[in-house]
Amino acid sequence: MTSRSLGQFYPVASVVHELDPRAKIAATAMLVAGLFLVDSTRGLLFVAAALVALVAASHIPARTFLRLLRPVLFLVVLTVLFQVLFSREGGMLFEWSIFEIHSGGLRLGFFLALRILLLVSVAGLLTATTAPVALADGIEDLLSPLKWVRFPAHEVAMMMTIALRFIPTLGEEAEKITRAQAARGADFSEGGPLRRARALVPVLVPLTVGAFRRADELAEAMESRGYRGGEGRTRYRELRFRTRDAIALGITVLVLLVGVLL
Amino acid sequence: MNAFRETRVLTEAALAIALAFVLGLLPAFKMPFGGSISLEMIPLILLALRQGPVVGTVAGVAYGFLDLVIDPFIVHPVQVLLDYPLAFGALGLAGFFPPSVRGAILGSTVAVFGRFVCHFLSGVVFFSSYAWKGWSPAAYSAVYNAGYLVPSLLIALVVVVALLKALEGAQPSPRQLRYRHSTTS
Repeated sequence: MTSRSLGQFYPVASVVHELDPRAKIAATAMLVAGLFLVDSTRGLLFVAAALVALVAASHIPARTFLRLLRPVLFLVVLTVLFQVLFSREGGMLFEWSIFEIHSGGLRLGFFLALRILLLVSVAGLLTATTAPVALADGIEDLLSPLKWVRFPAHEVAMMMTIALRFIPTLGEEAEKITRAQAARGADFSEGGPLRRARALVPVLVPLTVGAFRRADELAEAMESRGYRGGEGRTRYRELRFRTRDAIALGITVLVLLVGVLL
Repeated sequence: MNAFRETRVLTEAALAIALAFVLGLLPAFKMPFGGSISLEMIPLILLALRQGPVVGTVAGVAYGFLDLVIDPFIVHPVQVLLDYPLAFGALGLAGFFPPSVRGAILGSTVAVFGRFVCHFLSGVVFFSSYAWKGWSPAAYSAVYNAGYLVPSLLIALVVVVALLKALEGAQPSPRQLRYRHSTTS
């Protein structure tokens, strides 16, 4: 497990990848909220067409992108099934013993399924085209107005960045300790969940104590390099909001507007 | 924020988040609409018990955002807030309890209940917007979310107590030391 394989980030060069993460997060948030204002199937289809164009521009292979949709497939199928089987709106199209299929149900099922797929695609496109660390930086900037109500935006982003750095390290350590305990005869696959939980304690104790000790050393290392909290801190890679980011946001608003009006 | 004046507190929270994520990658059982019986809550509950409710809540919110960034499951704008930052932020509730065996058990229970409330509300919002006829959204959401949270809580209860003791021996936090002094003197 490396930090590169973590999550869904697909590192290729494209216009979408190069956009400012803040612009992408803002556009995603607008789309997620805005999709609930689109109340016609035609409107959703229009947004879907725009999204397909965007995916093409992002240079992510269609197959890779479609894999992002797999987690919600079950939900989509179930939603369609329920609408189709239980809705009694519109004219009846088909009848067989207790089952009736109405046109209204079909239409609503398609509409809801499309909306779920669009929501997941929008979020997936963001995480596939933006590195997690860039997303953390973007979140810090977007949350920083909340500093007025004493929300620790810098700390939240810093924790995310450090956590991203240490997830692979701790994952490796977890694997090493699990193997070491298995070599001593520990058995993690027998018994009910409670027994299994108890069997995990000999793995979790060294893993947790090790992680917390690492935190201590990291604090030492950061302070000796002059870390003094978020106040006045500069970044190695500054985020820059360019004209193309403004254009991207403008297009997003336009697409949503047309979708709502259709 | 005063709670993070010490770099040590910040890094401890960050490593707890990383550990939570690693433990979340080995789930025993995944649910179809998100959520799984897993160990991911344990480091966040431990952190809250060691560093108090503010640090616990902020770290929970950060974990929620991290989870959202790495593995998003978005079906409704309100659902996103409830299922990610708020649900894991609720785990900070454990920090209102003392870092003792009793406090760990009560704290874990209250924390997981807080998370349950968030997922429960999110389920109700989701179901009412997708309106499956003939289903009570409240009952369905309660059963669905309790289905993975109750077993996760039982596992957490066994493990958190053991880990809290181990950490108190290896690397006690100021809060743990204060608690120890207040009970021995």
